[in-house]
Amino acid sequence: MSAEKQIWVWADYRNYFQSRVTLQILARASVLAEKTNAAVCAVVFGDKVDAYVKEYIAHGAQKVYVTDDPSLKTYNVASYAFLLTSLVRRFAPETLLIGATRFGQEIAPRAAKQLDTGLTADCIDLDIDDAGQLVQVAPSFGGNLIAKIITPHTRPQMATIRPGTFQERPHDDDAQGEVITVPLPETMPSPRVRCLKSELRPARARKIETADIVITGGRGMGSKGKFKKLFDLADLLHAEVGATRPVVYADWVSSEALVGQAGKHIKPKVLFSFGVSGAIQHTAALADARFIVAVNKNPNATMMKLADVALVADANQVCSGIIRALKQRIRD
Amino acid sequence: MDFNPCMKHQLIRKTVQEFAENEIRPRAAEMDKGPGFPEDLMEKMKPLHYFGLQAPAHLGGAGLDSTSYAIVVEEISRVSAALGLCITVHNSVGIYPILRFGTRAQQQQFVPPMAAGESIGAFCLTEANAGSDAGGVETVARKTDHGFVLNGTKIFVTNGGICGTILVFAVSDTVPSRSSVFIVENHTPGFSVGEIEDLCGMRANPVASLFFEDCAIPADHCLGTMGQGLKIGLSALDTGRIGIAAQALGIAQAAFDESVSYAKARQQFKQPISRFQTIQNYLADMAVQIDASRLLLYRAAACKDSGRPFSSEAAMAKLHCSTTARMVTNLAVQIHGGYGYSREYDVERYFRDAKVTEIYEGTSEIQRMVIARDILTRPT
Amino acid sequence: MLHIIVCIKQVPMVSELPWDSKTGTLKREAAQGMMDPSARRALEAALQIKTGMGQNQAHIIAVSMGPPMAEEILYEAKALGADQGVLLTDPCMAGADTCMTAFILGKFITGHCPDAGLVLCGSMSSDSETAQVGPQLAEVLDIPAIGYARRLELVGNCIRVERHVDDFMELMEMDLPGLVTIDHAGESDLYTPRYVALGGVETAFKAGDVRLMDGAALGLDKNFNALTSSPTKIIDVYSPVTGKENRVLTGAVKKMVDTLFDDYGKIISSAMGKDLKTHDHEGDV
Repeated sequence: MSAEKQIWVWADYRNYFQSRVTLQILARASVLAEKTNAAVCAVVFGDKVDAYVKEYIAHGAQKVYVTDDPSLKTYNVASYAFLLTSLVRRFAPETLLIGATRFGQEIAPRAAKQLDTGLTADCIDLDIDDAGQLVQVAPSFGGNLIAKIITPHTRPQMATIRPGTFQERPHDDDAQGEVITVPLPETMPSPRVRCLKSELRPARARKIETADIVITGGRGMGSKGKFKKLFDLADLLHAEVGATRPVVYADWVSSEALVGQAGKHIKPKVLFSFGVSGAIQHTAALADARFIVAVNKNPNATMMKLADVALVADANQVCSGIIRALKQRIRD
Repeated sequence: MDFNPCMKHQLIRKTVQEFAENEIRPRAAEMDKGPGFPEDLMEKMKPLHYFGLQAPAHLGGAGLDSTSYAIVVEEISRVSAALGLCITVHNSVGIYPILRFGTRAQQQQFVPPMAAGESIGAFCLTEANAGSDAGGVETVARKTDHGFVLNGTKIFVTNGGICGTILVFAVSDTVPSRSSVFIVENHTPGFSVGEIEDLCGMRANPVASLFFEDCAIPADHCLGTMGQGLKIGLSALDTGRIGIAAQALGIAQAAFDESVSYAKARQQFKQPISRFQTIQNYLADMAVQIDASRLLLYRAAACKDSGRPFSSEAAMAKLHCSTTARMVTNLAVQIHGGYGYSREYDVERYFRDAKVTEIYEGTSEIQRMVIARDILTRPT
Repeated sequence: MLHIIVCIKQVPMVSELPWDSKTGTLKREAAQGMMDPSARRALEAALQIKTGMGQNQAHIIAVSMGPPMAEEILYEAKALGADQGVLLTDPCMAGADTCMTAFILGKFITGHCPDAGLVLCGSMSSDSETAQVGPQLAEVLDIPAIGYARRLELVGNCIRVERHVDDFMELMEMDLPGLVTIDHAGESDLYTPRYVALGGVETAFKAGDVRLMDGAALGLDKNFNALTSSPTKIIDVYSPVTGKENRVLTGAVKKMVDTLFDDYGKIISSAMGKDLKTHDHEGDV
């Protein structure tokens, strides 16, 4: 049982992306630890995980709890949750943070229930309040509502953290950390879930869903021929083109381009919306677009109200205008 | 007297709204460009019982009561009045007369393909010389050894361009005052479809003339028995009126909803126009009118469901709802100002679609006759 | 006979967000409700399994914890093909977090579904979006669980689950009884929910009532209070400051486009990863 306060970060390292999330959380944990005079600890389960242990120390972990065993080579929710729970019961950390990767979102609730403690999902911020409690900030309703949550009576305070929320600290080769090896318990739960196959296979290039710039076109473009011009603009902007449902039904573009509740969700840094009125089935998929430029003849269209910048004009004319402007302005 | 819809009716409404918003709304404006409904849309509607709303389950329908039926027509019409028209005519004056007056054999033969949406229904009464004056029908059915031979032309037939099972109102060649209803299938030799009408509204519905030239049909294709024409006609129209009233109400509701959101968004003189008293008066008048129509419609449906006579109630509903549709859509265009006159907005379509609801399935003048007759023949 | 329990939930329709700041809970009664789309997918998966197994080989119970108005989604579940609908409803259940929700659902399943073979849930609801109830319910029931299923296949008394998690394509297997959560729509989606057929609604109301169960019927302690028993507490709720100025540009197209690039060019160029000239740089070559 440790006397000091500990903030634990369960290490998710299975692929590059998951590992980044762990580093991001370690960075935030370091900030929180300073406020509460706590120690930042990483928790690593797996087979031959030395390299990760070193990595996490270099990114802010002052202690690393490691259970290294061939039987832990493949991620397994039940085994890992069991290990995590036993460790928590032994060392009683104040806080346990897990990345909101899919695996994280499977293991965290099970561990929380085993420990009968509270868990907040997909936090976009973490802070410490005056009473030293962890304030967990989590979105709901597609980000339309933000809640501040605390876990007043139970410990550890648990939260999963949305990837990309925090910035990882630079790798510090000189950082020192204590490695605590925890042997595999004698009795592990018998595996009731068997993994028959696990292949690293990144999702088929989900271009529009991961594109930084997206152009969407609605019926306001006028015709199939005019809609095609959006692709010219896309070439210049290195953007992907999406469409609303009426456009897909009118066969101006393939159904692959459908952006909406029943189609693709996008989260571009910049969204250009041409001639889109803004039906709710479409705008629901735009919640994560950071900066929206909307063009529509009708200033009262819903899409115009959602935009950062709304241009009241014919969508075609503005599309041509932007193409001209880009050609002049792009520095080579 | 409970004015709140029960859970079943609420769920029916939500069910149709979900389908209408996702599948019909994105196509509604496009459909208005020309006659015909997209094949894939029709295919999606078939297994969901849109073509067999009130047909019993054993014949492939949903077995809905009239209130549910009215809700379905209202909600479809709110998104596409032309499609709502197809559905209501097919169900209420296509399938329903067969269920009410047909022999067991006729029901077994004709209803299942109609309820499945494989054969669309149409009802032909109107002719060049017989509109409100149904007595002026000249289409003749000549009795032969094998059945009947029909000769005549029917005009303004809703669903005319896509119908498979047609109910034809014709007079006997020997006793002209005796009319009957005959069932004709579209593959029958001697039957043909004329040009699709170019109408002001309901443009997606392929309304057409139907020609019967020595069209021979078997004897068992007389709906019910000979001479029941007037009775079937009146019954069909009573039921049809509830559907048309629902359709008109749907159009009015759509126009009203758009007017409210437009009034809140549109700014003039540095404020939303919803702050102006004139606009508020318009919205209030529209709301009261729609609510009154709604109550009349669902009262008529409830009468029918409880087995009570509902002729006059249905006529009141049809009269009131169609008047409401015209009044509300007119105000809706006005509230939208110049934009309301443009095809880019839906309100002008609602305006064009609304007008005919005062004309077909019994003009407003005829509805008044029905209501007055009921008043004057009631025992005092 | 495979007994399938599908956990569904009523959520507010997208545009409505009525929040009671006094209790820190959602005023669900004030909003129009609909079946959570994720749960609807779980129900679709159950229906497909039932069809695949043939006549009378599977029995589906749809269960939900919610206020009285949530009864509607149980009828909707029946309209879609569930054999039975159960609503767990009691004021003492209001304000439950995921931990308490899992506890209450667990009480129903343990106490009243001894033959439960497969429990299906949506992976994440459209309102709270925690994705926690499924795994926590599995913990309460002490059964194995597999999340984010894309395809399910029954193989004897096992279930095989194909899933795509964190860029890994996995094929998992577990013995029943077990719990599976169904993923959101992806490529070649199997579990796109079917529309409710109108005849289904009519039948749902004819085929017997949805069973309502309160705290006492479930065997909850008479002093049970979900809000106070929940380990997490919401201390504040707010709409995010979007920081959207909603600037409206009008006038000549060229002028508007120039303004767009002059004032917002940096945002666009950084997203493009390319430099854009603004009017300040017109003097440059």
